[in-house]
Amino acid sequence: MTEKDFDVVVIGGGPAGMAAALEALKSVKKVAIVERNDELGGILNQCIHSGFGLQYFNEELTGPEYAQRFIDRVGDSEIEVFLNTMVLEIKDKTVIAMNEEGILKLKAKAIVLAMGCRERTRGQIRIPGTRPAGVLTAGLAQRYTNLENLKPGNRVVILGSGDIGLIMARRLKLEGLNVLSVYEIMPYANGLFRNIKNCLDDFDIPLHLSTTVTKVIGSKRLQAVEVSAVDDNLEPIPGTEEIIPCDTLLLSVGLIPENEVSKTAGVDLSKITGGPVVSNDLQTSEEGIFACGNVLHVHDLVDHVTREAEEAGRNAARYALGETSESTTQIPVEASGPVRYVLPSTITNTDEKVELKFRVGSPIEKGKVTVYLNDEPVYEGREKEFVPSIMETVTLSPEKLSDGKLRVEVK
Amino acid sequence: MKYDVVIIGGGITGTAIAHELAKYDLKTVLLEKGPDVATATTKQNGGVIHPGYDPHPGTLKALLNPKGARMYPKLAEDLGFHIRPTGTLVVAYSDEDLKTVDRLLENAKINGVEGVVKLNSQELHELEPHINPEAKGALYAKTTTMVDPFEVAVAFMENAVENGVELQLNEQVRGIEKNGEQDFTVRTENNEYPTRFIVDAAGIHADDVAKMAGIEEYQIKGRHGNLAVLDKNVPIKTVMFPCPSPDTKGIALIPTVSGNFLIGSTATMRDDKQDVTNDKVGVEELIEGAKLLIPEFDPSSIIRTFAGQRPVALDNDNDFYIKESPTQKGFIHAAGIQSPGIASAPAIAEYVASLLEEAGLELKKKENYNPYRKAPTDFSELSHEEQDRLIKEDSRWGKIVCRCETVPEMEIIEAINRPNGARTVDGVKRRTRAGMGRCQSGFCQSRVVDILSRELGIPADEVRLEEDQSKIFSGKVKEL
Ligand SMILES: Cc1cc2nc3c(=O)[nH]c(=O)nc-3n(C[C@H](O)[C@H](O)[C@H](O)COP(=O)(O)OP(=O)(O)OC[C@H]3O[C@@H](n4cnc5c(N)ncnc54)[C@H](O)[C@@H]3O)c2cc1C
Ligand SMILES: Cc1cc2nc3c(=O)[nH]c(=O)nc-3n(C[C@H](O)[C@H](O)[C@H](O)COP(=O)(O)OP(=O)(O)OC[C@H]3O[C@@H](n4cnc5c(N)ncnc54)[C@H](O)[C@@H]3O)c2cc1C
Repeated sequence: MTEKDFDVVVIGGGPAGMAAALEALKSVKKVAIVERNDELGGILNQCIHSGFGLQYFNEELTGPEYAQRFIDRVGDSEIEVFLNTMVLEIKDKTVIAMNEEGILKLKAKAIVLAMGCRERTRGQIRIPGTRPAGVLTAGLAQRYTNLENLKPGNRVVILGSGDIGLIMARRLKLEGLNVLSVYEIMPYANGLFRNIKNCLDDFDIPLHLSTTVTKVIGSKRLQAVEVSAVDDNLEPIPGTEEIIPCDTLLLSVGLIPENEVSKTAGVDLSKITGGPVVSNDLQTSEEGIFACGNVLHVHDLVDHVTREAEEAGRNAARYALGETSESTTQIPVEASGPVRYVLPSTITNTDEKVELKFRVGSPIEKGKVTVYLNDEPVYEGREKEFVPSIMETVTLSPEKLSDGKLRVEVK
Repeated sequence: MKYDVVIIGGGITGTAIAHELAKYDLKTVLLEKGPDVATATTKQNGGVIHPGYDPHPGTLKALLNPKGARMYPKLAEDLGFHIRPTGTLVVAYSDEDLKTVDRLLENAKINGVEGVVKLNSQELHELEPHINPEAKGALYAKTTTMVDPFEVAVAFMENAVENGVELQLNEQVRGIEKNGEQDFTVRTENNEYPTRFIVDAAGIHADDVAKMAGIEEYQIKGRHGNLAVLDKNVPIKTVMFPCPSPDTKGIALIPTVSGNFLIGSTATMRDDKQDVTNDKVGVEELIEGAKLLIPEFDPSSIIRTFAGQRPVALDNDNDFYIKESPTQKGFIHAAGIQSPGIASAPAIAEYVASLLEEAGLELKKKENYNPYRKAPTDFSELSHEEQDRLIKEDSRWGKIVCRCETVPEMEIIEAINRPNGARTVDGVKRRTRAGMGRCQSGFCQSRVVDILSRELGIPADEVRLEEDQSKIFSGKVKEL
């Protein structure tokens, strides 16, 4: 068994993990990234479309191009990278992992969780019917098509208007598959507006809102799906059923932060985001364990992931150096009304600006965000549109904060 | 060469019988129409080894269920399959339910089931603190165990094959001729199997198979049941049922051998024997049933739903239909094996052997019979030290294919290359759990396809999910 000591161990080598490790290395010497894939880059490696980096680099890059910039920096640095190495658990600040050489025990002063997320599957949304081949998540189809040169089918229906589904609609159409339509149970699309336009509208792929797949048909290979319109309670309306013959059903019905390893460390998870509960220094309920990127909450833009991860890396390094002072403040932050969640869930450090990130649960055509401290407004935004697919941020200056409770509301 | 026995059907019933007959000097073959054993009802059930407090005294079930259940712990040891003692609670919410508990207690006594007691409300809540606060008491059967029925069927079959029983997969029986006393011909699409005896263990199609031999003594219909798989986070230790109704044991919460949980099962008769679809109403019934037992149950913990059909022999008092056909001597029915067919299987197998003997088959013990099977290595169960040692021996133990269940490549290679090894993605999944976890094979499916393709020497786009038409891909994106 190999045993090693580090200042900061980062779990996951996607954009979040790389940015966290690079930032940590600015203050401490011994930093490691543990990545289970055979290369760094995470989910970006299979996102061969462009649209990355507009904010961070002021350039429009493809996923792999964006990743490569960080891979190069990591390569030029002193960061020790363990590839093909899967973390099994965290025990007493030791990261236990395995690879083809054996079991590794990496002892860390601070740990950064950056494991990304996984896709929701059919079972989690409980579509009735048979269980044939040909029903798969959009991300898996993306892997098959972009990395393994395998065609998932011929006649494709997509359920869910998440970004991966939209991007795969265009991708498969370009590869000559017959992409019939996209169905979305909500009365609005879940993906980014630019993806609806560039991936569906420009390719004449219809998007049916308030409609869902109510049955999977076919005993061995998928033969058809039954779709139905839904009412305001998202219940299928009898009589609206329609049978769509197809051999492939792609699911793009949401992402779930990948927190199995976090659980082994005893980290508290939020019921709403599925990610760790963190304070404003991105520290989880377990001291010295930090989280960033999609493992914390699902991001739509990688640029935000990178920024958040840099902060986590910086704070982890500070913790490893023993520079964090006992915090005396404890300001809980809560979401209210149409705001689905706010990050962080507590503010413990008010030396610097505090950034609150939040999402609404359903679209609001005209709304205004207000932040209350003990029912006193301390921040008020401009009137604008809010949609669930876009993460919003509010920055508060420290002098506005004092003991009490913060509440974020959109009206 | 003529067979002594042809077993038709490779579910738990057929494989248990094959395992039993392997002890004797016989020429036996098992014919299964699927690409693997246990691809029908045997993979679609709760896996509870009910101890036998339930069946009506005097029935075959009341004889075979307690006996079968008692055989399991030793079989698990000899054949190296997982078994997990859990106990069962039958929870009472009303005075009437408490009477049912008393009746079951009495039943248990008559059926000779030990370790069954009545718990009052306090004892019940001490045992299971999260149970519905309104529960007034329960029957507690301490000897209930859990198995993975697929694993058991594979273990039965592997041991049978190693002791000389022949296994023919993808062989659907299409015709049966009787040529004379102890002289049948069983036909499949491409082959003929001359034999002295036939054991019909074709599950829900047993009556259809019997018809091929001109037997119309009984008819089978399916009693359909929905089941749901939960992620590993329900705060219970014991299998929990509500009080039963005449037709069904009700919706239970079941901690499985592998640490997951199931909710199962609904019960409605179906006309279509093929129908193993999930229905919305049924799945809602499962959720309600789970909430009745554990009010804090969270439906979002459901990661998958599935369904099966219990083969029910009609007009047979809800009992198994196991006997020699009175009209076609030498044709043994092992049919109508509804629940608890898994729990009863080892006893059913012994019973069928005794019927064969009575019908004139000589059962002579095989001299070099090997009762043991070496269990496949389950990497995720080993200590880190043992894992480290294995990886140093062969680095393929260090290459994780399924991340949710920590299944390394070598475990999959072994599953493919064992006797009666995996041939399909689902076959790998059921043997190793690769693809059964939270992501439901989102990550590992393509890797499993690669390994199957390499180990079986077939192109990746010809690897199947399960049956012949279930090709996963429609070819390559680009020809390179
Ligand atoms: C299909 C798709 C399209 C997208 N399109 C865009 C776009 O157009 N523009 C844009 O800006 N953003 C886009 N995004 C979002 C952005 O790419 C992601 O938010 C970002 O990649 C998340 O980074 P991450 O590092 O948190 O997670 P990931 O990239 O998922 O990285 C996590 C890493 O952790 C590793 N890991 C997990 N568990 C373990 C373990 N136990 N042991 C070792 N390693 C582990 C994983 O292998 C993985 O490499 C898209 C995302 C997807 C999925
Ligand atoms: C929802 C549900 C929950 C259950 N829960 C439990 C439980 O908790 N505990 C318990 O003990 N029992 C339980 N049962 C019952 C148990 O699953 C069955 O009793 C058992 O699986 C029946 O096994 P079998 O081998 O008789 O049938 P099957 O498993 O159906 O096997 C029959 C085999 O015959 C093959 N076959 C059919 N026709 C032909 C042909 N013409 N040629 C060749 N092969 C053929 C089929 O392919 C199949 O493999 C449950 C059942 C259901 C449906």
